Amino acid sequence: MRKIWAVVRREFVERIRSKWFWVMALLGPVFFTLLFVLPTLLAGGGGLKRIAVVDGTTTALGARIAELLDATPAFRAVRLPAGGRVIDSLTAEVTAKRLDGFLIVTDAAVDSGKAEYRGASVSDFGAKNVLEHTIGDVVNAARLERAGVDPRVVARARMAVRLETHKVGGGTTAGDTAEQSFSLAYFMGFILYTSILIYGINVMSSVLEEKTTRIVEVLVSSIRPFQLLLGKVLGVGTVSIFQFAIWGVSARLLFAQRARLFGGAGLTGAQVFQVPHVSAATALVFLAYFLGGFFLYAAMFAAVGAMSSSEQEARQAQQPVMWLLVISFVSMFAMLNDPGSRFAVTLSLIPFSAPIAMPVRWAAGSLPVSEIWLSLAILVAAIGAVTWVAGRIYRVGILMTGKRPNLRELLRWVQTA
Amino acid sequence: MTSPTPLLVLDQVTKRFAGHTAVDALSFSVPAGAIYGLLGPNGAGKSTTIRMILDILAPDAGTVRLFGTPGGGRTHSARIGYLPEERGLYRKMRVLDVIVFLAEMKGVERRAARAKATDWLERLGLADWRLRRIDELSKGMQQKVQFIATVLHEPEFVVLDEPFAGLDPVNLQVLKDTVLALAHRGATILFSTHIMEQAEKLCDALCIIARGRKLVEGALGDIKRRRGGQHLIIGFDGSAGGAADILADRRVVATVDNYGHYAELELVPGADPQQILQRLVASGARLSRFELQAPSLNKIFIDLVGPDAARPGAGAGAEAAVGTGATAHA
Repeated sequence: MRKIWAVVRREFVERIRSKWFWVMALLGPVFFTLLFVLPTLLAGGGGLKRIAVVDGTTTALGARIAELLDATPAFRAVRLPAGGRVIDSLTAEVTAKRLDGFLIVTDAAVDSGKAEYRGASVSDFGAKNVLEHTIGDVVNAARLERAGVDPRVVARARMAVRLETHKVGGGTTAGDTAEQSFSLAYFMGFILYTSILIYGINVMSSVLEEKTTRIVEVLVSSIRPFQLLLGKVLGVGTVSIFQFAIWGVSARLLFAQRARLFGGAGLTGAQVFQVPHVSAATALVFLAYFLGGFFLYAAMFAAVGAMSSSEQEARQAQQPVMWLLVISFVSMFAMLNDPGSRFAVTLSLIPFSAPIAMPVRWAAGSLPVSEIWLSLAILVAAIGAVTWVAGRIYRVGILMTGKRPNLRELLRWVQTA
Repeated sequence: MTSPTPLLVLDQVTKRFAGHTAVDALSFSVPAGAIYGLLGPNGAGKSTTIRMILDILAPDAGTVRLFGTPGGGRTHSARIGYLPEERGLYRKMRVLDVIVFLAEMKGVERRAARAKATDWLERLGLADWRLRRIDELSKGMQQKVQFIATVLHEPEFVVLDEPFAGLDPVNLQVLKDTVLALAHRGATILFSTHIMEQAEKLCDALCIIARGRKLVEGALGDIKRRRGGQHLIIGFDGSAGGAADILADRRVVATVDNYGHYAELELVPGADPQQILQRLVASGARLSRFELQAPSLNKIFIDLVGPDAARPGAGAGAEAAVGTGATAHA
């Protein structure tokens, strides 16, 4: 027991002594914040597009569109009457980057709903949305007026609806909006994915270091291989919890200063963060699945480290394990659309994807507590089974040198008593 | 060194790896207090044997008994020090921390380990380096750190796998002195090597193995006596005269190892060394040395292991073990 404790302490102390740990601990929240703010900044701030509206209409329609677009924060728009060479010269302007693009409107917009935008970049969904909305509004109004409807009625009819969405969970209506749930789910999924991956690989390199330096021989002459593995996983796990604690504190500080920090970027705090409410239950679910996922993947990564004899070999051998994790992460986006779908439920029960899938579903929408218990039970059973197999591979692998074993040899390692 | 119970007994220990038998029904015993050599050519199974003694590998058959009790090396790890053949330390750790950690693995309490480690670093001239990282140390210094880690917990039984390989002369001396000091305090030393000169100087008793099997075991003196007697060393001073013919005379000389200025002969049983001396002088050879001697360990080793030691897959080679029983140590 005292020896396991010594292994735990060594892993912990050596890791938090490294510069990397502190870089991650201190810059992690900044990094995660940027990850969320950057798209907003890019879409909003970088999105001021200078465009021209080529007006081929016989009514005031084109002028109205140009005027409305110019009033949006996304565009500076100038109306140009359509003419022989206008398109060619505007194309040249866009090519020369003096103009971001131009919109061509004709009477066909009102008749058949057709308009055309040509620009340097056509993949900006935000800008495209604004264009479509603005044109749609003006065209609808024109159509109604053409049909003889009083313009004041038209104006009143166009008053927008703001839909407020709230998550219903545990019989009560939470204050969370859909955006907050979404960002919380996304955030949790992202942190779970990166943390399990980073700390899993930490365990792997630790195993590999002891193997390649041959210290492991001295160690296993004093401590059972499984105890060594256990101490290692616990030590690295403790580091990760410590890391989360630091992140928790610094995220709080960062949040308190958000207005000052991001005010300069022309965004108000409310625009930057749709701050989700993190309940104790959510934190508990997050921690439970992080630990479960970490133990499961750490065992697999340890086995990978034990069967490799160099960094390069390990990088190759870790691919299958990494893919398991990547698949769970990528399917998060599908799950966010419909957290109750059969696909999402299945993923949250499979132990290899549950550590990411279940917390994401929990944050995105309500789910029966019984499902959590079932998925945790399966996860714990899987940790037991995977650790048993990984421990056996580890025990044989750490003393082996030479080429990496194939599947049949691995099977034999597992079978040897 | 009068202890009647051997400290270590191997009984019919066997280890097979995929495709070959690394250690084949090997039995030997190490008397308490002895400096014991486990000798053999490369690939003879020395390291595998040592790993089984230390519980790093489990034997497929046979038993290992340590300190007269059942339970392998791991059970007794606090009483055993081990220096593996391939050296290595945590490269990013500080010197003092590495030593303390390895001592903790041997069950030494943390604070005591720190004090002892500091003492040892002082003694081996590494005091100023104790807070440096291992990868800042030269190879020789790293070796010293590893000796310290091997002996810090004052083990009763020290196992050294190829301890002299790759050491610079200074560290070689440090290690020898340390080993001898430990032995003097009553520790038992088991070391493996394929370099016979070192073994001959250090060993009280030894076991020679090849291809996983025992060839000979016993006290060094006994083995020499059993295999010696008719061993002659001749040194020439300038002219060898007609010596070559005499050395080639198969009626008196069984084998010869002729270096030109120096030759080692094995005489045919019953041949008279004095007669050879007379014939050499008569042939005009000028002698600087004429010595009747027990054979060197190197000679015994080569005779036993034979040229086919280098030939993998050959039969059991050489003759069966001489003096199988654990020869009591004088």
